[in-house]
Amino acid sequence: MKAIKISLILFALMITSNITINAQDLTALQIIENVYNRAVGDDMTADLKMTLTNSAGKERVRKIKQFTRDFGEIEKKIMFFVKPADIKNTSFMTWGYDEEGKDDDQWIYLPALKKTKRISSDSKSDYFMGSDFTYDDLGDRQPNQDTHTILREETINEEDCYVVESVSKDEEYMYSKTITWIIKDKWIGVKKDFYDEDDDLLKTLSVDKYEDINGFLIITHTEMKNEQKDHRTVMNLTNVKINDGISKSKFSERMMTRGI
Amino acid sequence: MENMLNKLLKMPYIVLAISIIISALFFMKMKENSRMETNLDKYMPADHPAFIYSDKAEEWFNIKDGIIIAIENPEGVYNKETLDIVKALTKRFQKMPEIEKADVTSLYTADNIVGTEDGMDVKAFYKKTPKTDEKLDELSQKVKSNEMVFGKLVSEDETVTIIIAAINDDVFTQEFYTHILETADEFKTDKIKLHVAGRPIIEGTMALLGPADMKKMVPIVLFVIILVLYLTLRSVKSTILTILVVVFSTLWAFGLMAVVNIPIYAVSTMIPVMLIAIGVADGIHLYSHLQLFMMKNPLAKKKEAVMDMIKYMWLPVIMTSVTTAVGFISLLTSQVYPIKYFGIFTAFGVLAAMLFSLTLIPAGIMIFGLPKVKAKKEKEENHKFAFNFAEKVIKYRVASMIVTVVIVVLSIVGIGKVWINSSFLDKFEKDSDIVLTDQFINSHFGGTSTINLVLDSDDKGAFKNPDVLKAVDKMQQAVVGNLELAGNSFTLTDYVKRMNKVMNADDEAFNTIPDNSDLIAQYLLLYEMSGDPENLWKVVDYDYAKLNVNFQIKSDNSKAINSVLAEIEKSKDDFEKLGVKMNYAGSGYKALIFTDLILEGQIMSLILSLIIVIILLGIMFKNIKLGFIGAVPIIITAVISFGIMGWADIALNTTTALLSSIAIGIGIDYAVHFIEQYKINSVTGDKLLTAQNTMAHSGRAILFNAVVVIAGFLVLLFSVFPPNRELGTLVSLNMFISFVGTVTIMLNLLNKTNIYFKNKKGE
Repeated sequence: MKAIKISLILFALMITSNITINAQDLTALQIIENVYNRAVGDDMTADLKMTLTNSAGKERVRKIKQFTRDFGEIEKKIMFFVKPADIKNTSFMTWGYDEEGKDDDQWIYLPALKKTKRISSDSKSDYFMGSDFTYDDLGDRQPNQDTHTILREETINEEDCYVVESVSKDEEYMYSKTITWIIKDKWIGVKKDFYDEDDDLLKTLSVDKYEDINGFLIITHTEMKNEQKDHRTVMNLTNVKINDGISKSKFSERMMTRGI
Repeated sequence: MENMLNKLLKMPYIVLAISIIISALFFMKMKENSRMETNLDKYMPADHPAFIYSDKAEEWFNIKDGIIIAIENPEGVYNKETLDIVKALTKRFQKMPEIEKADVTSLYTADNIVGTEDGMDVKAFYKKTPKTDEKLDELSQKVKSNEMVFGKLVSEDETVTIIIAAINDDVFTQEFYTHILETADEFKTDKIKLHVAGRPIIEGTMALLGPADMKKMVPIVLFVIILVLYLTLRSVKSTILTILVVVFSTLWAFGLMAVVNIPIYAVSTMIPVMLIAIGVADGIHLYSHLQLFMMKNPLAKKKEAVMDMIKYMWLPVIMTSVTTAVGFISLLTSQVYPIKYFGIFTAFGVLAAMLFSLTLIPAGIMIFGLPKVKAKKEKEENHKFAFNFAEKVIKYRVASMIVTVVIVVLSIVGIGKVWINSSFLDKFEKDSDIVLTDQFINSHFGGTSTINLVLDSDDKGAFKNPDVLKAVDKMQQAVVGNLELAGNSFTLTDYVKRMNKVMNADDEAFNTIPDNSDLIAQYLLLYEMSGDPENLWKVVDYDYAKLNVNFQIKSDNSKAINSVLAEIEKSKDDFEKLGVKMNYAGSGYKALIFTDLILEGQIMSLILSLIIVIILLGIMFKNIKLGFIGAVPIIITAVISFGIMGWADIALNTTTALLSSIAIGIGIDYAVHFIEQYKINSVTGDKLLTAQNTMAHSGRAILFNAVVVIAGFLVLLFSVFPPNRELGTLVSLNMFISFVGTVTIMLNLLNKTNIYFKNKKGE
């Protein structure tokens, strides 16, 4: 089973207790594949609070109710804005496809216009809703798109981690490389540094909290900091429900107009 | 004082040695520690409210000056060749360490918000350069139908497209400037031309051209001054010593600047100008006295001659220098630091020149001997001429007074026409490359200069309110519609209108601000989701409580900027009703305020120093009336030179405003020497003879002084840099007016008031 594509960097992870391979024998690719292949359940409901902070220290807070479900080849997701008031019930739906080269389908419903519109963005390098996450950061990147190298092993927050460097095989990729700290045995990436085209540190992702929900490890608190622009995005998940049985029909244009 | 100076005569070598050693030390310190301050922001008083606000706004909205690179292809820009250049050049600029990637805007980086039947797209205009005619045509249509780009990044005739690279003020260096020009040059082809413009380029060119031209001109100026000085003093020794006074005092002024670690500002380059004009005066007066003494006493020994010179001249030399120095120190009232420094260090230089005149010149004479008095006959002729001249001046007093009054009245009318110009572009020749490029870009686009109107509300979300945005839109339309100079405006309204149109099937009727504030908020969310939200933060702040409206103007001339400001201000009441305050930001606006400040400071200090001079002269001559009479040359010089500027349409700017300081320095010199001589000569008891003798002595020295400096500065008329030409003209003019004013009006006033003669009667 392939793990559902998790949008908001919610790499969830199940401790696969039956892993018996000696850590020493793991290749960098295997480590990344373990992260990629972690089971995180088939659907998820959660309240997302997104806090954007700019370099002047000003904050903007958006509250969103989100539903995600894995349909096998397609991952569907629908989000309803709760706050601020002027965008309440604005909804956003994405259908992401496993098929290589196929762009996501995206729709937005603007209640003030009473219309659902398709939007498309050029590339995965676009930032998601003014945050510091690109669409690409939020999705699962297939392990074979990069060349991975184990740099070293390190301890972060009292957890033993592999430090893995990933360099894209595609030269046009927006990051020259990324470096990920992955907790051994849990296969959670707790920290990730993103380097820009000029090989300068661009962003740092840190996972501040993960919780065991229904037997799945779900990351509920992450921060992405753009080191060059001094802009931060904190994503905080609450009321997380996994495998709650979200109806398949939830993910339609009609449902978008209904509001929460 | 006189005794002390006489004692120094016994050790001339020590005086010379000490002078040289201290000057050498200052010179070494200068070499080690002097640096030019080229960042114009450093010139502005940081605590002035307008600057504080502007600086804050620049940070909120990332307001920076842009370098504009125009790519011109007469056959149109929609072909592979041109588009490849746009792409390659954009990438090159993005990679430059001085430029932030997000600060480069071109057709290659621009977002295209387009509407389709079932939605909205925010896409790049192109990523890979289109090759087929069909694709190129499609691109052309995309641009044409997007009013956020058409006429802004691509000219309406489709032959020019621009790349804008915004940079911070502090990254601009000579190397960077050359690098930009070279990079642009690299992409030139037979067909495709590249033009570089924008405020940083203009500032950069000015920073290069001005000093480079000065470097060429200064040696010639000095040569001419030395030559004319020699022709008037008729002695190599005297000429060298007089020039040494100027050179040493300049070294001391700049040396002290280096010691106390103050950088050289653009206005500091005026210090040598002042010191040349003022510094040679003391030397000339001293030698002039010496020559006259020797004509009367041809057999006198050198020590005798020097002692006589010191006896009669030390007081006027000190009086003139101290008064002049105080005049310059009055510039401390200015709010602009470079001007304060200019005042202090010029004052220090003037005092140094005084010191050298009183020590070095006598020491020099002691060491190298008296200058030979040649052509005695000619001197006597000069004498006769001076006598006749003085007689005529007094005879035609009424006529000369009337002429003066007429000129002064005309000048005052002229002063009314004086205008302040903070423009950089106006400093270049009308047919120079930089001006032509600017005109070229202005004729194809909205304008190369920018004014940022910053709207400020206490209300969070104010700029999602349709009423407010409609008022902004109305104001934008009024300014751009009513003023030809204002080519473009750009702010949040343009995004909202574009999205409203696009979301309504590209219907032009929806190119408006919607009435529903939720809809505006949702559009903006939509834009953030699909576009680059960074672009939004250039026009509105995070809380939607502050808005930055960009106006593009086709001139950086103060008149143009003021007319745009006046048009914007018409909406003030509308905004006030909505609880929105208006402020301005950006370098163009700051330059405007800055020039006003300089002028205001200059006028204040001129008035202040005039008062101080009147009081000081009154005390020195123990007669307040003489204080007023002594101030006459200053007043006349200042009034007439400003008047001429008005009539000749020479705008006031930082340099020309400072030149009025010369009026003080020179005016005092002339007045004090003249009055002092007049007083000494008044012992004869004969009013006419007193006037005549004074004319033959001081009048002669003043004439020499004026001729020397005028001749030197007239050389600048051949400069290729217009501000340097203005400088030459105005310095010469000031010298000339001071001279004429002193030997005519002041003489008449002295004569008419019976000053020293009345005293005699009273005794």
